[in-house]
Amino acid sequence: MNLLFEIGTEELPAGYVPRALADLERLAAERLAVARLGYEAIETYATPRRLALVVRGLPEASEQQEEERRGPPEKAAFKDGQPTPAATGFARKARVDVGDLEVRDGYVWARVVHEGEPTVRILPGLLAGLVRDLPAPKKMIWGAGDGPFVRPVRWLVARLNGEVLPVEVFNVAAGRASRGHRFLASGEVEVDATNYVDALNRAFVVADVNRRRERVVFEASTLALSEGLEAVLPKELVEEVTHLVEWPVAIMGSFSQRYLDLPDEVLATVMIQHQRFFPVRRPGERLTNRFVGISGHQPPDLATVRAGYEQVLEGRIYDAYFFWTEDLKTPLAEHHKKLAGINFQRGLGTMADKAARVREAAQKLAGKLALDAGLLREAAALFKADLPTQMVYEFPELEGVMARAYAEKQGLDPRVARALEDAVRPTGPEAPLPETPEGALLAALDRADTLVGFFQLGKRPSGSADPYGLRRAAAGLVRILGPTGWELPLQEVLQAAADAYRARGFAVEPGAVEAARSFAEERLESLLTEAGLPTLAVRAAQKAPSVYGKMLRARLIYELMRRPEFAELTRLYKRAANLAQQSGSDREPDPALFETDEETRLYEALAPTRRAVAQLLERGAELLPPWDPAAPLPEVDLTPLADPLAQILALAGALDPFMDHVLVMVDDPAVRENRLALLRAVRDALGELGALELLGA
Amino acid sequence: MLFQDLILKLHDYWGGYGCVITEPYDTEVGAGTFYPTTFLKALGPLPWKTAYVAPSRRPQDGRYGENPYRFQYYFQYQVILKPSPSDVQDLYLDSLRAIGIKVEDHDVRFVEDNWESPTLGAWGLGWEVWLDGMEITQFTYFQQVGGVDVNPVSVEITYGLERIALYLQNKKHTYDVEYAPGVTIGDLRRDFELEHCAYNFKHVNAEKVRRWFDDYEEEARRLLELELVHPAYEFVLKASHAFNLLDARGVLGHAERQAYVQRVRRLAEATARTYLKKHHQEVAG
Repeated sequence: MNLLFEIGTEELPAGYVPRALADLERLAAERLAVARLGYEAIETYATPRRLALVVRGLPEASEQQEEERRGPPEKAAFKDGQPTPAATGFARKARVDVGDLEVRDGYVWARVVHEGEPTVRILPGLLAGLVRDLPAPKKMIWGAGDGPFVRPVRWLVARLNGEVLPVEVFNVAAGRASRGHRFLASGEVEVDATNYVDALNRAFVVADVNRRRERVVFEASTLALSEGLEAVLPKELVEEVTHLVEWPVAIMGSFSQRYLDLPDEVLATVMIQHQRFFPVRRPGERLTNRFVGISGHQPPDLATVRAGYEQVLEGRIYDAYFFWTEDLKTPLAEHHKKLAGINFQRGLGTMADKAARVREAAQKLAGKLALDAGLLREAAALFKADLPTQMVYEFPELEGVMARAYAEKQGLDPRVARALEDAVRPTGPEAPLPETPEGALLAALDRADTLVGFFQLGKRPSGSADPYGLRRAAAGLVRILGPTGWELPLQEVLQAAADAYRARGFAVEPGAVEAARSFAEERLESLLTEAGLPTLAVRAAQKAPSVYGKMLRARLIYELMRRPEFAELTRLYKRAANLAQQSGSDREPDPALFETDEETRLYEALAPTRRAVAQLLERGAELLPPWDPAAPLPEVDLTPLADPLAQILALAGALDPFMDHVLVMVDDPAVRENRLALLRAVRDALGELGALELLGA
Repeated sequence: MLFQDLILKLHDYWGGYGCVITEPYDTEVGAGTFYPTTFLKALGPLPWKTAYVAPSRRPQDGRYGENPYRFQYYFQYQVILKPSPSDVQDLYLDSLRAIGIKVEDHDVRFVEDNWESPTLGAWGLGWEVWLDGMEITQFTYFQQVGGVDVNPVSVEITYGLERIALYLQNKKHTYDVEYAPGVTIGDLRRDFELEHCAYNFKHVNAEKVRRWFDDYEEEARRLLELELVHPAYEFVLKASHAFNLLDARGVLGHAERQAYVQRVRRLAEATARTYLKKHHQEVAG
């Protein structure tokens, strides 16, 4: 049997629909399983005004189920082989014959059969439950208290093989009729599981989300192509537009040529954010003064809608153009001074304070990195200068872009302009990273400043709440630093930020720096484990000071972990490293004091192990140049590492007999200390790779 | 269609539907939602239908008349239907037809927009309505008012009258909209707008307004003690407007601004509680 269930609503939030469909499918599958109803397939459909479910291949009734029910003890159930009232009572309750009761383990048992229930009787309650329990981030009630649902439910269709099921939720009773397009179709449309998509299509509703999405893309791109142009189709906008319309119709319009003075990013932001229009460009070139809007309706004369679109967009771009010309009247350096009027965070000063701190910290670290000091100085002096501009006030997501655009327009060094744009990157979890090292340093220190400052204020994120975006800042920090390959310790970056606070009279305790560092390390761990590295490999590698150092080592340790011999090595290594802690000196082991072959053998294994570790790190770095920790792991053939890996693992062969046969804690202090020194040497040889003792059993 | 006819047509339509056409209130408010005919009437169990023009003041939004759409003084047309009827979207679309917008000829869409008023302790879910890409209406199902969960639910339909008139008259600037024959909105409001912008942005005596705020707050509290809800609420509105003036004057830091918002909100919530306490008893009795 085939089921159609449609929840007709007032317009759903576009961002909610994809998630609602996934939840609806999952919830339906769960509830059908609990009801012991099998099926062949579940399909889901949605438009702004409906969520729908088609379940194909349902049985007539749910599966029959047997249950073994335990009754009274045998002794109480039977007297002289005859059933007592206890047994007959139990049998009656379980609805079986007394003669069918079984005796096992000192008890009587009844085999109770639950007959399947007709599907038609199960579904009404089950479907009503789907409507009631479909999760949503924010639900509402309406009318005299109906709901809650994400928007008011206005009709329901529930049909099993054409029969209407008596489903009632929120004072809406299910019927056989859906609604077609608000303006293009008239009245109700009868639908069932066999004709749902087609019947709605005839009523000007494309119910299949994939088909509607394809149509949005196809309509927009062919329309642009008809004039030799190319529609710019960002994925998120395509998705949103798909869920804003039931019947997509593309309309191309234009705006005044003079607005092309504006940077493409500004034009695109205005079109996308305000109007959900697709920008249009000449293939391979910049934007033109065209746009494509997707109407949800095909009125008799598209020119009316086009004229409306054009007028509204013209007004919106006019605003942006006004900001642009106004902002350009003032040099960026002047805008920069207005940072003093923008608060960063209570207790952490204004944005001017922040910018000054970042500038100071950048200058302090610049010497350690291969940077253009002059360029860095210029960029640092204008860091965040676009924040007080009208454009960024209106469109915060254009921060950085505007700094670059204004800097270029005002004749500053284009490299400074690029560094300023870089300094805000990345703007999201997958957004692009800085490309210039000067921009990367500013961007990293901006985030370091935020982390250190907020941890000093004790505003650590708890649970899923992160009102100050500290997780984002920390992830950004390690994402920026990792790909630079800088040998700059993460600790030092945060320390520089803390020092800059102190230099300006803000107290920062060492604990805050420490907390910020381990928080950033946690973010790195979560990024790398998401990319597929084992948690323990990452934890062991955190010992390395720089972000890239941590990443490289985590990847190499993972390579070691994949070898079967590794477990044995780490088991021994952990014991060795533990013992080595007892060492009271930092002397080198002295072969003259060795008393056993095992000591000599282990000693002789040290040099090749150290060489192998150095080789592994060196060749590893060649094969695995710095990468973005948020990106998938680099796919690289690591067979050139086989030799050093094998050499490292071979240490177990020398370590095992030593740990087994040599007593370390002997009475003779000289021998004891020498053996401990040997173990310390072992620990340090592998310790270059990471805290491998964390990996031992 | 003349601006004044737009209002008359809406009165005619919603009056015909059964709304009480109430006249504009005589205290400065930021939006029609602040009117007692919305804020107080949305509370409690009694049904209510009203429509009115709400002249609104948002000192912060003034642009000395330079921006064609943004003003510190403008008109909203406000409709409240409680409980929200099940055909409310169709009713709304019919109201557009009534003012001469043939919806079949346009791209009319309901785009998610969730409304929240931190000063009123109110929020709701709904949409902004787009007419060929232009936002012409806010459409909200109230869920909470004055910090109180509401049930039955009121639906609030707020038309941006100037926007709609711009569209209907095909004008580029609000000042060019014809209000009455031979009289434009510019004729009526240009000086008012300029002078108020100058006042809001430059000449608000911040020290004095802060004091007023304190006084209004104290007065509202005192009147709430006496359960004089309506006079008390007027002082809440005055306090709210005083805060808006300080905000426009640019004298509030972030934290201080938040503190003012909270103070207004606490007053609004206290008003809602007192109103319910007093009027629920009347309803129950």
